Amino acid sequence: MMLYHVKSFNKKGQLKIQEMAFVLVAILVFFAIVALFYISVRVQNLKGSVEELRDDEAKTMVRKLAESPEFSLSVENCINCVDFDKVLMLKEKAEYQSFYPLDYLAIKVMGALKKGECARSNYPECESLTLIKKKEDFGTPIGAFVALCRQEFFGQDRYIKCELGKIYASGENIRK
Amino acid sequence: MRNKKGFEFSFNWMFALIVGTVIIFLAIYGTTQLIKQERRTSDSEAGKQLGIILNPLETGIESGKISKISFPLETKVFNRCLNEGFSLGERAFGIQEISVATKSGVGVEWESPGAASNFYNKYIFSSDVIEGKEMIVFSKPFLMPYKAADVIYLISKEENYCFVNSPSDIENELRKLRPENINISADLKECKKGSIRVCFDSSLCEINVNLEAKSVKKYGKRIYYEDDKENALLYGAIFADTDIYECQIIRLMKRTSELASLYAAKSISLGSKGCNSNLEQDLAYYSNVTGTLNKSNELSNIMMLSDEIWRKNDALSCKIF
Repeated sequence: MMLYHVKSFNKKGQLKIQEMAFVLVAILVFFAIVALFYISVRVQNLKGSVEELRDDEAKTMVRKLAESPEFSLSVENCINCVDFDKVLMLKEKAEYQSFYPLDYLAIKVMGALKKGECARSNYPECESLTLIKKKEDFGTPIGAFVALCRQEFFGQDRYIKCELGKIYASGENIRK
Repeated sequence: MRNKKGFEFSFNWMFALIVGTVIIFLAIYGTTQLIKQERRTSDSEAGKQLGIILNPLETGIESGKISKISFPLETKVFNRCLNEGFSLGERAFGIQEISVATKSGVGVEWESPGAASNFYNKYIFSSDVIEGKEMIVFSKPFLMPYKAADVIYLISKEENYCFVNSPSDIENELRKLRPENINISADLKECKKGSIRVCFDSSLCEINVNLEAKSVKKYGKRIYYEDDKENALLYGAIFADTDIYECQIIRLMKRTSELASLYAAKSISLGSKGCNSNLEQDLAYYSNVTGTLNKSNELSNIMMLSDEIWRKNDALSCKIF
């Protein structure tokens, strides 16, 4: 009789421990799910704010790019004038590929008579000059109008000819 | 008979207490880590934002604009300059690193700074740590002989400078800029107590400028500058830590070198169209010399070459820069 009573007490205790263990596991699983949800939301927000910061950087950069030493027309005192002769040479310099924190940087000649990418062979009879293109899906680039200037020759005379152009830039995205 | 029930401490209670303690400990630990992480994230964002707001401050045709940057909390800005790196871009231009740490009323007062933001096209002359809620910032173009970059000076508003007997061009410029924390005086005694004194005609100050030798001695270390047209290097030598100054000089020279090769390529390209400048060789040599500068005391040789190229270009009817 005594033996039977002890056995029943052990079973009851074991059941309680099992119950508690299940509750604990459930609590842990619940917290793990909450943590995972929080982390995924936070990572998304973080990605968003990083993209936003890079877009801001691209915006401020595109506005100042025409005045940077690599782009500016230093021969004349001209605001927002890009030296197209110099920028054409810039395209050939591999060092500048990572100089600007951009995925895409290009200059387009507005109202160009001939289409095509600018190179030494067809310059200045061309439409666009792509300086940086790190990937195909670079998003919607931010644009800023500039004066594209170059040295022109008319017999013995030289003059600076400026046309309307637009600089397009897109901030660097997060690498996957 | 004694009542034993009063001392009964069942297994359930013991189990609940232990597990409860573990859960509470984990919750507190997790929250602390989360706060730490959030602080680091916002510091990293602040570092990047600081870099972005410095973009419009860079000069266009006009030079020397003064601005104030205000932070919501007491902040430390860490300025780190690297003149070498692994990638082609890093090797060619060096890296400007900016990181930020904000003061907190909860937990540790100053945590380690957030993730550093890297820039290739920025040159910040400052001490390695700038602390304060407000910072004074101004920029100047660096011309040697062509514009190679915009240099930025970053000073804490809490740091007061006193320029004693400064040359007239610097005095006029500072009077025009009117920075809140830079005073101009004719005598050492007129300087505010606790201010960093900059002497131009004696060696009694914390920072002593020797205009003849074109050198600046600060805290026992001597650095050299050259008369670029805008005094950009002189201001840099005054406001920056000596190590940062030396590193930024190397970076500026690397950019000058890249630009020299760019202008050499432009000169060759225009030469074939009838615009002969004959500057290609000079520019190629200049690119080589500037690209291999190691210390600021080598600047005088570069200045001579720079002046020579400037004179040759100025005499051209078809200018390269």
